[in-house]
Amino acid sequence: MCRFERLCSSSSSLSFTMATRLQYENNCEIGVFSKLTNAYCLVAIGGSENFYSTFEAELADVIPVVKASVAGTRIIGRLCAGNKNGLLLPHNTTDQELQHLRNSLPDSVVVQRIEERLSALGNCISCNDHVALSHPDLDKETEELIADVLGVEVFRQTVAGNILVGSYCTFSNRGGLVHPHTSIEDLDELSTLLQVPLVAGTVNRGSDVIAAGLTVNDWTAFCGSDTTATELSVIESVFKLRDAKPSALVDEMRKSLIDTYV
Amino acid sequence: MFFTFFLQFMMPIRVLQPYRMPRKPKKNNRLVTFSPFGRSIAMATRSWRATKEVEKPERQNKDLATSSLNGFKDNIKDKIQQSDSSDDEEFEGDVQADFVFFDPKPDDFHGVKLLLQTYLDNLQWDLSGFVDLILGQPTVGTVVKIENDEDDGVYSVVSALNLGRYKASSCFLFCDSKCVLELKDFLLKVCQDMYVLGKLKSLVGEHVQHVGLLVSQRVVNLPPQLLPPLYDGLFEEVEWATEDEPTKELQSSFRFRFYLIISKIYKHKNADQNRGTLKNGEESVIYNRPEDEIFFEVPSGMFSVLLLSYQCANLTSIKCFCSLAHGHSVFAYMHSRLLLMRQLKNYRPMGLVMAVEACKISSFREQLHLLIDE
Repeated sequence: MCRFERLCSSSSSLSFTMATRLQYENNCEIGVFSKLTNAYCLVAIGGSENFYSTFEAELADVIPVVKASVAGTRIIGRLCAGNKNGLLLPHNTTDQELQHLRNSLPDSVVVQRIEERLSALGNCISCNDHVALSHPDLDKETEELIADVLGVEVFRQTVAGNILVGSYCTFSNRGGLVHPHTSIEDLDELSTLLQVPLVAGTVNRGSDVIAAGLTVNDWTAFCGSDTTATELSVIESVFKLRDAKPSALVDEMRKSLIDTYV
Repeated sequence: MFFTFFLQFMMPIRVLQPYRMPRKPKKNNRLVTFSPFGRSIAMATRSWRATKEVEKPERQNKDLATSSLNGFKDNIKDKIQQSDSSDDEEFEGDVQADFVFFDPKPDDFHGVKLLLQTYLDNLQWDLSGFVDLILGQPTVGTVVKIENDEDDGVYSVVSALNLGRYKASSCFLFCDSKCVLELKDFLLKVCQDMYVLGKLKSLVGEHVQHVGLLVSQRVVNLPPQLLPPLYDGLFEEVEWATEDEPTKELQSSFRFRFYLIISKIYKHKNADQNRGTLKNGEESVIYNRPEDEIFFEVPSGMFSVLLLSYQCANLTSIKCFCSLAHGHSVFAYMHSRLLLMRQLKNYRPMGLVMAVEACKISSFREQLHLLIDE
């Protein structure tokens, strides 16, 4: 039994993957104040300890949960874009913040600050570990950097006519949720591009800004506390959070996680 | 940008009595100011706009292109350009807007919730449940929107909630619903004066059936001309509800004897010490809303006006506004707050809780009319 499996059997939180509802200071847009990937989780400083400890409770044994700020703000989820391979930060990130992130994240994660006019990278880029969607107006150099640092294939796209792809769609390696007004054709097209099943839905009681209300990785999701039970069940089914059995889960996760324990 | 709105507003036909406001197209675009606070804001905007003219190219790039409100960059730029092109004399940025008053509907959830974010300072409480209570009461309460607004933004909400009415449906012991409980606990907790605490306890305790919580929140730059019809409408709806509600119980629940108001003020940091240290023209208390000043002045009988002020946490409204999809109303709100900050460095934000007798409301309405219509 490898160290990873021993860890899994001892940690109860891993066997039951469900979406967790939480708030940041009465605000249900938790995707603004946090960034969750398969290799790390970033959480905004400030606010009550409850926010941080909810993430800790779910993730502490598996991936590092790091408190951070970007450009002196707490809206880190919307300013940075990342996956298990890397993290992209806007040009106004301070040197101390950059250093802090480099120190706290695993060595396999490349932390890079990029010079891009559109500095809200979280709103402009939506990605998983293999594919990324980008804002149509991003620079060519930025697109190349995304492909390089995040190790993904980049597609310039819009979602339901919105150019802020990072805000209106969220996807992991297993599924994705997009703006509720996405047409069937767009849904099919995006699904073929991203190679994951997609569903058009809402979060936080009808809010169409998906990425602001929801943050997700391959085995867990966090969403705002206004999210209704229906929305939650859609999230759990499209991101395949609930029907994986523990052993199958371990095998699946091993592929995406094992490098952090080498 | 600080929009001043031309006023042409109307109300939809009410159930019993059509309530039509006279249309008053205003050519004169002077910003109506009603208090020293408002005047200082008006002066601040004038000087801010003067500097804005000079710095415009950099400011646009800095504020708009790199803010997280990226998707609305084009929208807002259009508005700025519009306003600058229509700029003749001293006041730029006049936007024509038709305000419409609606009954609260469940669809207004997000807009109303946004307005109530800092209602109880930065306490984490069941705000969603509280918003549901407001929206679940379409007979008493008003939501202000702009006609044909694609964002469907809520610019103001007023309502009167009977605190004794809302019980938890799941609770055997007939206790209050969670948000009402948390609200009452909050009020009792922030009260430091023992004398006032006793009165407050009775208001939320034995007399709670006769107490209406007057909820009134709006975007900071909502034209004050809307306030008299807004409040008149609310108090008339309360009267109508005492006759029109389906059950006797509901009818009596609107026979308020007291209105409880939770609001915010700015107290001068030196106000508690000798008056002499206040500079000329600086007030000891600045009211965020004009009606608070009137409520405070209204003379009352058995229960004196409870001035209960508590220290506010940092003005978190600026940092918390990261929701993207709510459009211009949020943006305007944020900018107004930024202006506020500059003018208010000598003041401390405080919460204010007032209890006003219901019989004094008619004099309040008169005074509000006098104040705004001048």
